[in-house]
Amino acid sequence: MTPVLEVSNLRKSFGGITAVAGVSFEVREGEILGIIGPNGSGKSTLFNCVLGQLTPTEGEVRIDGKPTTGMRPCDLNRLGVSRTFQLLQVFPQLSVRDNLILAGQEHQGTMASRLFGAADAGLGDAAAQMIDFFRLAHVADEPAGSLSYGQQKLLDAAMAFMAGPRLVLLDEPAGGVNLTMLANLRERLQAYHSERKATFVVIEHQMEFVMALCTRVLVLAEGRIIAEGPPQEIRKDPVVIEAYLGH
Amino acid sequence: MSRIGAIALAAAVVAALVLPHFLKGYGIYLISMWAVLSIAALGLNLTLGYAGQVSLAQGAFVGIGAYTVSLLLQAGWPFPIAFVAAAIVCFAVGWGLGYPALRVQHHYLAFVTLAFNTLIFLVLRNEEWLTHGIYGISGIMRPVLLGWSTAKPLAFYYFCFGMMTLVAAGLWWMIRSPWGRAFVALRENPIRALSLGLDTRRYTLMAFAIGSSLGGIAGALYAPLVQFIEPNSFALAMSFNLLLMVIVGGSGYFFGPFLGALIAVLLPEWLRVTEGYYLIVYAAAIMAMMVVCPTGLFGLVERAARALRTKRAPPAAAPALQTDRTRP
Repeated sequence: MTPVLEVSNLRKSFGGITAVAGVSFEVREGEILGIIGPNGSGKSTLFNCVLGQLTPTEGEVRIDGKPTTGMRPCDLNRLGVSRTFQLLQVFPQLSVRDNLILAGQEHQGTMASRLFGAADAGLGDAAAQMIDFFRLAHVADEPAGSLSYGQQKLLDAAMAFMAGPRLVLLDEPAGGVNLTMLANLRERLQAYHSERKATFVVIEHQMEFVMALCTRVLVLAEGRIIAEGPPQEIRKDPVVIEAYLGH
Repeated sequence: MSRIGAIALAAAVVAALVLPHFLKGYGIYLISMWAVLSIAALGLNLTLGYAGQVSLAQGAFVGIGAYTVSLLLQAGWPFPIAFVAAAIVCFAVGWGLGYPALRVQHHYLAFVTLAFNTLIFLVLRNEEWLTHGIYGISGIMRPVLLGWSTAKPLAFYYFCFGMMTLVAAGLWWMIRSPWGRAFVALRENPIRALSLGLDTRRYTLMAFAIGSSLGGIAGALYAPLVQFIEPNSFALAMSFNLLLMVIVGGSGYFFGPFLGALIAVLLPEWLRVTEGYYLIVYAAAIMAMMVVCPTGLFGLVERAARALRTKRAPPAAAPALQTDRTRP
């Protein structure tokens, strides 16, 4: 079976600094792949290369077997690749509902139908479902900027799921979220995963979160993959412990 | 819209329809100017207020519209076609001016558009074969539409007001459509918007093109209103004045430009009693207003409305703000 995401020999340098030094991996349908690594190990750069925010210096990215290297983020997104960001990225002045409709509206119709068609682009029901699923009903019509940090994180994730993506890349979803909200977020992600058979790639620092959520883990250090395997093994791997503690 | 808002709007519309009957020639000229400049300010509010693209060139588009209409009328074209041509020309030129916005933002973009405005001014002044240079174009006729002559001031005011209403209705529709949502997303976070599938390039160009074409429509009404145009009217001062209308009214508020234009057109006139000092007083008033309400008058209205609401409702109304806020 063709992997959902295939990264081969990806390299990215900024001037003399090589942030990602030849990384290859595959993501199979329905799995939750965790990518961990110390600060500066190249995780976010790798993400940004896969997602078209950066153009890789070398190497190739394929989605469902189709080469997508250098594709614009908006075109990639319409292919079914969705993401969340490390720092909060909701639209603060739009309501929660509008944030969600926005996240889905460009996936259907044309520029003309988006101008002359329904104001909610026919996504009112889908947005309402997503609001219920992420338990945001009590704040659905508040501006997103007035939500608590944890709620904004939930909304951020909900937005990534709104268009029913094939592949979701989550960049530090647990960052800055308190423990109660973290459990809530993890539980919602798992529920979504089992309900929709979606494929996730998660970058994370919070080990507990990764161990509980992911089915397979890649460890990145200094721009290279140094270990790969199920979470229980990764935790005991001396190379990984060295990479984390040796810095 | 709230009920109070709807009543205020209805009252404003009735006033705009009835009051002109009690005004003399110059008063009618002024409120016609208000209607015309409101259209240009609505366009700038779309580009700047909603889509977040700084433009200091809206005056240039009013100029392009005014010259297009005047030259085509001189060449014997009927007004409606000249009018549409002005809007189309400005749409195309605005689309072109949008390209720099794909590369530079904020004050850099302000300078690009500022340079563009100067460029247009120089073209209007120096290309005498086309624009008659500093002598301008005079004797611009007001149109006769389906047998209705707009030559009289009051008739022309109603024509301008009607066009303003049409433009406002169209814009209202657009702001409420998915496009409006996309424009706000462009202003608030273009990178996130791009990652959600928004073709930010296309929306940026659209924001510029549509905003500019509204400038062109305003120009196409400005020329027959004043019946004389010359390059100086469309120099930077006009662009700054339109920017002022948007900011004073409330950038990103739908009704902001109407209020801003009203103040920018009427305040200098009311201040004429101070004679030689009126520009000084006007400038001071604007500065004071910006200190008191940097989000413009509609920002002030919203703040007051929110204060009233929280006073009425007990604090339980805002649970969202109190839970688990832990920043990294």
